[in-house]
This record gives sequence, C-alpha cells and structure tokens, in this order.
Amino acid sequence: MWKTIVRKELLETIFSYRFPLFAVICLLLVPLGLAVNDAAYAKRVRDYSDQVRLADEAAAAIKIQDIMAGTVAVRGFRRPSPLSVFTQGFENALPRYYEFTQDGFKPGESASDDESILSVQGKVDFVFLVQMVISLIAMLFASDMISGEKESGTLRAMLANSLPRDSLLTGKIGGGFLALWVPFLMAFVIGAVVLMLGAFPLAGADTAARLLVILFGTSLFMLTYFTIGVAVSASTARARTSLVAILIVWAAFQLILPRLGDMAARLVYPVRSETQVSLRKSLLVHALDIETAKELGHQWDVILGPASPQARDDPNSPESKKWAPIRDDIQLRARERKSQQLAAIDESYLQERRRQLDLAVNLSLISPSAAFARFIADVCGTGELERARYLDAVRAHEKALDAGLFSKVKRTLMIHEGGAMSMGFSATPVDASKLPKFSIVEASLAETFKANARSLVSLLVWLIAPFAYAYIRFIRYDVR
Amino acid sequence: MENAKPILKADGLTKRYEDGVLALDHLNLEVRPGEIYCLLGANGAGKTTTINLFLGFIPPTEGACLINGIDVARDPLEAKKYVSFVSENVMLYGNFTARQNLDFFAKLGGKTALTKADYYKAMGRVSLQEKAFDQRVKNFSKGMRQKLGIAIAVVKDAPAVLLDEPTSGLDPKAAAEFLEIMAELRKEGKAVLMSTHDIFRAKEIGDRVGIMREGRLVMERTRAELQNEDLNRIYIDYMESEAAAPAAA
Repeated sequence: MWKTIVRKELLETIFSYRFPLFAVICLLLVPLGLAVNDAAYAKRVRDYSDQVRLADEAAAAIKIQDIMAGTVAVRGFRRPSPLSVFTQGFENALPRYYEFTQDGFKPGESASDDESILSVQGKVDFVFLVQMVISLIAMLFASDMISGEKESGTLRAMLANSLPRDSLLTGKIGGGFLALWVPFLMAFVIGAVVLMLGAFPLAGADTAARLLVILFGTSLFMLTYFTIGVAVSASTARARTSLVAILIVWAAFQLILPRLGDMAARLVYPVRSETQVSLRKSLLVHALDIETAKELGHQWDVILGPASPQARDDPNSPESKKWAPIRDDIQLRARERKSQQLAAIDESYLQERRRQLDLAVNLSLISPSAAFARFIADVCGTGELERARYLDAVRAHEKALDAGLFSKVKRTLMIHEGGAMSMGFSATPVDASKLPKFSIVEASLAETFKANARSLVSLLVWLIAPFAYAYIRFIRYDVR
Repeated sequence: MENAKPILKADGLTKRYEDGVLALDHLNLEVRPGEIYCLLGANGAGKTTTINLFLGFIPPTEGACLINGIDVARDPLEAKKYVSFVSENVMLYGNFTARQNLDFFAKLGGKTALTKADYYKAMGRVSLQEKAFDQRVKNFSKGMRQKLGIAIAVVKDAPAVLLDEPTSGLDPKAAAEFLEIMAELRKEGKAVLMSTHDIFRAKEIGDRVGIMREGRLVMERTRAELQNEDLNRIYIDYMESEAAAPAAA
C-alpha cells in the first residue's frame, strides 16, 4: 500500500509542470555554479601560491639590521579552502593574510577582489541555491500535497479504501520527496564530475567524506523544508491558501528570522570594532613602553650616569655589572605586564564577541536555513570554525615569530631626566631559513559535527516537529 | 434477499457536529445483497453524512454503522475492504490516464494482481470508449469520469457499493447507461446504497426508497409498494410536512 502511494506521488509530481522546471533549474544551476566557483578558487590558489613564495623569499632575506631598524613585517597567508566552491561563507571576507611585526599583528586585505556585478548583487553558490531556490521549490512541491487532495476530493476517494492514514501521509512524503531529491542528486553528481574534470582535489578521503556530508546535510535540509510544506498543506483546506501560507513561512524562515537573530544580538550585546581594539592595544603598548623607558632612564641615570664613559662601555665594570640585572629585571617585568594587559584586552574583546555571537547563533537557529548554512560553511572550511581557527593560528604564529625572530633583538629605549632619549641594542643571530611557517589547523569532521551540534539539532527539530504536526492534523482530519 | 444478512446496516446512527448541528438523528436502515437502496432528501437532509459515516470519514456521535457485520467506527480499515465508493464528482488524477487511475485505485482497494487486460475489460464494461483508456483524465467529461469511477468500484468487486449523488449532472444517455450498470451490480449480488435527488431514477432502479429530512428517515417504501404510488408526490408531501415522524426501521 505504501509503495503504491509512493509510486503515485512520484508519478503525479513527474507529470506536473513543476518537475521539469525544477530538474532544469537543478541540472543547470548546480553544476554551473560549481564550475564558476571552481574557476574562482583556482585563481585564489594561484594568487596564494605566488604570494607565499614571495613572502618566503622576503623572510629568507631578513637581516638582523632590519629587525633592529623595526622594518621587518612577516606575512602569514591563509590557504583558500577547496570546498569554498560550495559556499563562500567567510572565504572572501576573511583577511587573505595577517602581517606580523615586532609590535604585534594586523589583518591584511580580504580576498574579495572580484569586480563582477555579483559582488553587489550577492553571489550564487551551491548553498545560496539550496537556501533560496531549492528550499522554496521543496515547499511548493509540498504545498498542495494534502490541501490539493482535500480540495479536489481525491483524498475522499483514497480514504474510502482500507488505507491507513499514516501510510498515506508517509507515502506521500516519501514519493514527493523522492521526486524532488532525484534531480537534485543528479545535479550534485554532475557538479562533482565537473569539478573533477577541472582538476579539483576531490580524490582525498577527507574531501570525499566532506562531500558526502554536504550531500547528506543538503538532503536533510530539503526534507526539512518539504516537511514544513506538508505541515502547512495539512493545516489548510485549499491549495491556494497553502501556497500563500507557504510563501509567508518561507520568507520568515529565509529572510527574516536569521537576520532578526543577528540584529537582536547586536542590540543586546554591542561589540567594539577590531580597529578600536587594535588602537587601544597600540595606545597601551605605547604608554607602557614610555613608562618602561622612563624607569630604565632613571636607573641608568642613577647607576651609570655618574660613571666615566669607559666604565659605561665596559660590560665588566662594576657599574655595568650592577646595571645589567636591573635593566633585565625592568624589561622582564615590563614584558610580563604588557603581555598580561594585552591579553586582558584581547580576552575582554573575545568575550564580547563570543557573547554576541552565541546570542546571534542561538537566535538564528530558530531558522533551519541559518542552521544549514552554518553547518555546511563549517564543513566546507569557510565558516565560523575556520575564522576561529585562523585567529588561533595567527596568535600562535605571533608567539612563534616573537620567540624565533623578533626577540633576537633587544632594544632598550630610555628616557632620562629632562626628557632626553637614548637607545641601546643587543642582538643574537637569526637563521631566517628556520622561521616558523604559518599554517591553520583544519577542523576535523568530528570537530565540525561537535561544533555544529546546535545547528544539527535545529535541523532535526524542524524536521520532526512539522512532521508530527502534519501527522496529528492529518490523522484527526474529518473528511467531509 | 429478504432473509439474507444485511451488508450495510445503520443502527441508531446519530451524528452531531462540533458546532452543535444534528446532521443525523437515530437512523436505522439495512441494505441486503442484491438490493439497491435509494436515499432521497433535500440538501442537508443527512444523506452525505450517512455515506461519510459508512466510510469512516467522521465518527458517529451515537449508534453504529456496520459493513458486512463490522462496526466501521471500531475497525474502519477492515470494514472498508467490503465497500466501494462513487462520489457525485468522481475525483481522479488529471495527469494520469484512465488506466493509471484505475490501476492506482485498484491497488488501494487491494487488487494488486490485475493486468492491463483486466482494466480494459472493466472500462469496457462501464461503456467507456476504448480510445479513452489511455488518455489523460483531465480532459474527460463528467460522464466519462463517472464511468471511470464506477469502473474503479467494479474492479474492487466489494460486496457493498456506496454512491453519493451519482447521476447528478449526467446527460440522459449517460444516466441510462449508469442505471444499466447498477442493474448489473444488483444481479451480481451487490448491496448498493445510493443517495440521490433524482426521484424518477430512484423509483426506476431502487428496490427500496427512503426519504430523509433533517437527519431522520421519515419514509421507507419497497419497489412493490411504490408501484401504484406517485413517489414525486410523496416526496413533496414529506418535505412540506411540519413534523414528520421517523419511519419504522
């Protein structure tokens, strides 16, 4: 009986005008979107390789004098994510590189150098297609699934037989979804073939696994929207009413709820900009450096000021021997203080952002669309997880560079009584070939699933709740 | 026929809707094998509610309806194995051909082993034109849809047939063909319960005729009793009478 309903539903959808339209949209747009994004990805990889090569050459040529002069800036580049062909996410919004100097790090320009008109209109990628086009079509496929049969009377004709209503409902969902899923699957497979023909790195086990997760996640998302459509259809008596209700629900889920979450979070927990934080850190560093320089100057004046020039230059003179540990102690304390205060600023900024982000994420998860987009972006390495990993890598690299490069030169700036300034240097050799390489530790699939537990729960809730609602409405429906 | 066990039986069947409307008030009727029972009445008299209750579409407030001795409210799926249904506007899937519709509804009716030839035979039996067998139903006339609806009932081959205003809107030729098929079903021993407004055809085909008013069966006559009576006059009299008493079961 169930198979009969599935078959009928499948055939009915295939014979309708909607099916060929949807098939054409899928088969045309999915592979085309992937091919276009693959070309853009290939370009970004070429740019990345060239820039990394140039940066490595520049790093190899670093001399101790450059560090002493404070002109060294090392760049750490982020490798473009291969799966960004499926969703741009933060791919183009993240800085292409971070620049590290002895004063800290700052972001470089973003990767968004595309001058096509789509930069203004919004780019079409796989996730955009699924979110904005396929989700709507999935709901439209389901719009008259129950209400249309109620209105036309075919539901009476079917239920006049010994047909369990739960079999009828699940059969209709199964057949209707199959008619939606098969063209999508074909488009997905063709898209994968197009990527492979373009020498896309699909062969790796991890990429292949991620591809399957994208397929699974997208199918789950489509089924979720399809089931929401069925729930709307089950609660209305006319196909036209279902259609209007579905358009309203779709607009709420796609356009309103995800943005409302972000807007509410910005209002409730406002966050300073990165520029403000960076400026505050620069001011703090400057103030601490001046304070340290004054202390060093004062001690120098007390210990070495009365000494003869020979005693000042001789490291073995009693004055120099007394001065050296005091200087080192002041500098050590200053470094620790600076480090603590900078970390406190960073931590407070991160907390602000985390609080805002958590609220935005939690509120946006009311929409299955936002949950889907976040999950797939993380699977593709272009989501929030990648952004956090990138920042972690930047901080780790800063420390590594500080230890391996910038700390090789010790500058001692002193401000003496009366305001006169002087500077002393001490340096140890640098082996530029052994400088640490910048790299981001990619989140594993397990970590991605863990980080997206809330998104997955949201998707499942939005799958189960409408189904349960449709089920109850349909079982209790009085056929008249 | 008189002594045969009834296939369709309404026993004190009452239906009050949630809005308080009493649609059916202690209805008692029986339809035996090889009998055609015509239920007459104005709109809102309770004819369609009776059919809906027999099909388990709505639960009764009181009483029971039984198909082949099975209480529909208690075991609707089992009860519906023994009944076919043809509605006023036979609703079919427009994008399917006549055969595809027949195949789908036959399978729902439990007939899973029928062949193309069986379907063609059933459609031929209800006088559906051969060229229409593999045509999409969306362009069918009402008469053609009605024939296909009856073909679906024929294919199911259930002992009871429920018909809700089946001749409404049919042209005289199609209506005459319909009556011939009903007569054939009677010969096969089917118990047919037909709700209708069509007094003349009810008198022509009905073995028993009941008149419903405000949810009650106010009159019941056998074919023999109606031989020398004017059913049209009786109907109008019952409709115009202020307080019609329920007919004896």
